[in-house]
Amino acid sequence: MTFVQKYLSWAAGALALLIALIFALPGGKVRGFDVAGFGNIPILEGGRVKPLDSVARNSLLVIHSRQGFRYEGRTIGPDEWILDVMFRPQVADQQPIFVIDDPDVIGLIGAQQKQNRNYFSFADLSSHLEEIQKQAQTAQPIAPQKRTRFQSAIVNLFDRVYLYYKLRNTLQLAGSPGLGWELQSISDPEASARHQDLMQLSQFRILPPLPGGSPDAWKNVGESLRAMAAGQGVHPALVPLARLNAAYVANDAASFNQALADMNGVVSTLKPGALSHATNEVVFNRAQPFFVGLSIYFVAFIVLCISWIWKPELLRPTAYSLLFAGAIVHTLGLAARIILQGRPPVTNLYSSAIFVGWGAVILGLIVERMYRKGFGTAVAAVAGFASLIVAQNLGTEGDTMEMMRAVLDSNFWLATHVVTITIGYSGTFLAGAIAIAYAIRKHIVSKVDVETDKALVDMAYGIICFALFFSFVGTVLGGIWADQSWGRFWGWDPKENGALLIVLWNAIILHARWAGYVRERGTMVMAIFGNIITACSWFGVNMLGVGLHSYGFMDQAFYALMGFGLSQLVFMAICYAPPRFWEQKPHHKA
Amino acid sequence: MIKTLASRIWKFFKSFQLTIVLLACLMALVVLCTLAQVEMGTQGAVNAYMRSFFVWRQFSFLSFPLPVFPGGGLVGLLLTLNLIAKTLDIQRSWAKAGMWLVHAGLVILFAGEFVAGMMQVDTNMSIEVGQTVNYVQSYKNMELAVIDTTDPAWDEVYSVPDTLLAKGGSIAIPGTPITLNVKRYYPNSELSNLPPGAPPSLATAGIGPGISVVERPTVTNDNELNTGSVFVEPVAGGRSYGIWLASMALGAPQSFTHEGHTYLLTMRLRRQYLPYAFTLKQFRHDVYPGTEIPKNFSSLVQVVNPSQKESREVLIYMNQPLRYEGKTFYQASFGKNDTLSILSVVENPGWLLPYVSCVLVSLGLLVHFAIVLRRSLKRRQDKKEG
Repeated sequence: MTFVQKYLSWAAGALALLIALIFALPGGKVRGFDVAGFGNIPILEGGRVKPLDSVARNSLLVIHSRQGFRYEGRTIGPDEWILDVMFRPQVADQQPIFVIDDPDVIGLIGAQQKQNRNYFSFADLSSHLEEIQKQAQTAQPIAPQKRTRFQSAIVNLFDRVYLYYKLRNTLQLAGSPGLGWELQSISDPEASARHQDLMQLSQFRILPPLPGGSPDAWKNVGESLRAMAAGQGVHPALVPLARLNAAYVANDAASFNQALADMNGVVSTLKPGALSHATNEVVFNRAQPFFVGLSIYFVAFIVLCISWIWKPELLRPTAYSLLFAGAIVHTLGLAARIILQGRPPVTNLYSSAIFVGWGAVILGLIVERMYRKGFGTAVAAVAGFASLIVAQNLGTEGDTMEMMRAVLDSNFWLATHVVTITIGYSGTFLAGAIAIAYAIRKHIVSKVDVETDKALVDMAYGIICFALFFSFVGTVLGGIWADQSWGRFWGWDPKENGALLIVLWNAIILHARWAGYVRERGTMVMAIFGNIITACSWFGVNMLGVGLHSYGFMDQAFYALMGFGLSQLVFMAICYAPPRFWEQKPHHKA
Repeated sequence: MIKTLASRIWKFFKSFQLTIVLLACLMALVVLCTLAQVEMGTQGAVNAYMRSFFVWRQFSFLSFPLPVFPGGGLVGLLLTLNLIAKTLDIQRSWAKAGMWLVHAGLVILFAGEFVAGMMQVDTNMSIEVGQTVNYVQSYKNMELAVIDTTDPAWDEVYSVPDTLLAKGGSIAIPGTPITLNVKRYYPNSELSNLPPGAPPSLATAGIGPGISVVERPTVTNDNELNTGSVFVEPVAGGRSYGIWLASMALGAPQSFTHEGHTYLLTMRLRRQYLPYAFTLKQFRHDVYPGTEIPKNFSSLVQVVNPSQKESREVLIYMNQPLRYEGKTFYQASFGKNDTLSILSVVENPGWLLPYVSCVLVSLGLLVHFAIVLRRSLKRRQDKKEG
């Protein structure tokens, strides 16, 4: 590799990092309103303090499956959207953000065929709310795994509509003249009922705890209006909030920005630290490190594929440096989550996907440094890309930094058991990915290259040893945690069984190899099967819906898992296909 | 001849084939056991697949069940033997020290699961705030309790386990003049008011005559409970006190009096009385602010043990059980508007074995890796020098 090539390749990585950095920069003002500043306001939702921006993004993700949308020729971001929902519902209600895919549900709401007929606005749905609610309430008592497709879809739609409805009525009752009017008419005879509605529908608590009270006693608007009506004085943050409301409705950007500054002043006196915590989270939200990371991994993989046919001396190191850049972004994202949440990296299924991908990428980088054949880069990029895609799909159900339920509220065990076992998953998947690369290469490359084959088998073998160690230790640590919290070391619970299967399978591969029952190809076929076992134990057990571990049920993922399993079986067949496909090629030529 | 047979057996037990076949069997069992849990509940599936020597299956054309697959017990036993044989077979050299430790640790791990399978007793203790409880009760097993309440200071409790009731016949209650004649026992049943015109109940005394009992198939699911019912005739001093119905479905105990002693009859979950007592002083159920997500459950318990002259407070909370006199008490559940705390109680004499095993295996793997690393470094060094 020449001097220039070396620098060119590293420049590609640096460029990727620069693009990642640009994502983290704040956007401009919308019509002069400091919308981003509004997104910075800390609130309490789901048991933790977070910026409004997180509520906006997660809600939009739940309702719309994306964090932004195009409307009337421009892109509307999460902060602007939530402002409209909360302060100008008449505008937000017209935006077609509800995605409905189920034809029966579309039929139920009797929608006309539109051009983009799967998108509906709240206004479109508003005349069918009663029917939606009625249908959803019939379906809700049925266990999620037993619902029909229509029932799942209607419950899902109802949950999204209800979330939107709550957001609409959190800071002011939709259709009322606003919070300022509410403050003035505090002693109206009907005010009490309105306060009650605001309390019940509130999606989050925006008013920081007052001095002298409990440090966690954040209040929602309804609660503080009721306290005010009871003569307990006006909450200091209510006034700037009412001004924000009025200024936004009156389209007065200057007053809005001034009210925002006053609001921030009140918040930082009442709850020092909350604002900066929220700001940090907003930067993390904006940077979208996992989305950027998966894009970089994708580019790295494409570059590597090109390197096999064109300019390998330049492109292979370029792919490696891109992978490295992706890993940096990925690592920073992971670190940011750890810091923001104050928890070890893996706390739920979403974060496990992120961590599995991260582990595979780091392992792949190490393997690539050792063997320098491009395979480490290829499998690491694919594994990182695939697991982040899985994470993106798992992350559409709301806040991914949810609070830990009592039994899981143990940083020690989350850091030891969960992390070790997840590294075990990473290892098993990486070994499987290498085996797939081996299988494909065997069929594509006509030249017999014993050395590369051996290197690939060595990589897979080493990683399987590594995975066995981590999955065994992780499983035993899990047993010890179970002994500490449930009183038995081992209960044959589905999740425990899943972990055990990975350990057993890796042990079988290694013993079969040591005993000489399998050689190169056999080891690789078995390594691919490891992918199926790991995927089943990772996701499959959540679908059974039994046992102490089943905290979350997933319905549609079942088909994805089946598809993955089938694809792996195909790869196993390809890997096991008769040797004449590749070994006899030279004879044909002769 | 004998020598060749012995060496064949030895060869069989130390073979890699056996290891792989057994591991594969174990994998199959684990998968089957996991899938079966959806229908049978965790405990039922574990008993059928893991804590048995064979997996039995009832075929419609046969009147008796057939073993269709080796059960967890058999596979585990063979695997242990295989492991021991392998361990003994590993060269007794320092180079293999790591592998020795790993395999010895695995033997202990299996032994631990065997001990747990054979000897672990799971019970629970429910206490309301302010209440003092000196017994643990079973999750599923029942008993018929005969309680002599004559002395206001204490009760004499005699109990007949459901297994004995199932055998039927006459059961003499030691320490009392009473003999119980079991007329009929239902492991699971459903009770309802006896409709007019229906055949009369077996019972002749207490509230039994007004109730009809229908037998139900027994349940094994984790959250279902069998409603055991029994018709018994207490006989004392040659005199019958009538036939009584006792059932899990009946709340209040019924009583009869014999020679100045009042005896309560009640069917309940099997109890084990303890030489010490727990008083629940406080139960806490903390949630994250503004949500219903539980953050913590904890029970502040006063442990009073007269034989040890001990009386102290203990806080039992998530991931922090109390280990006391061979039993371990865990915060498991709660009820009655956070005034009732349910502790699960586990007695497993082998609870330490997995810990020992974990240390041995981890140590073994580390030693092995260190040895391998040293060897490969040395090889590299030799290569450089050579």
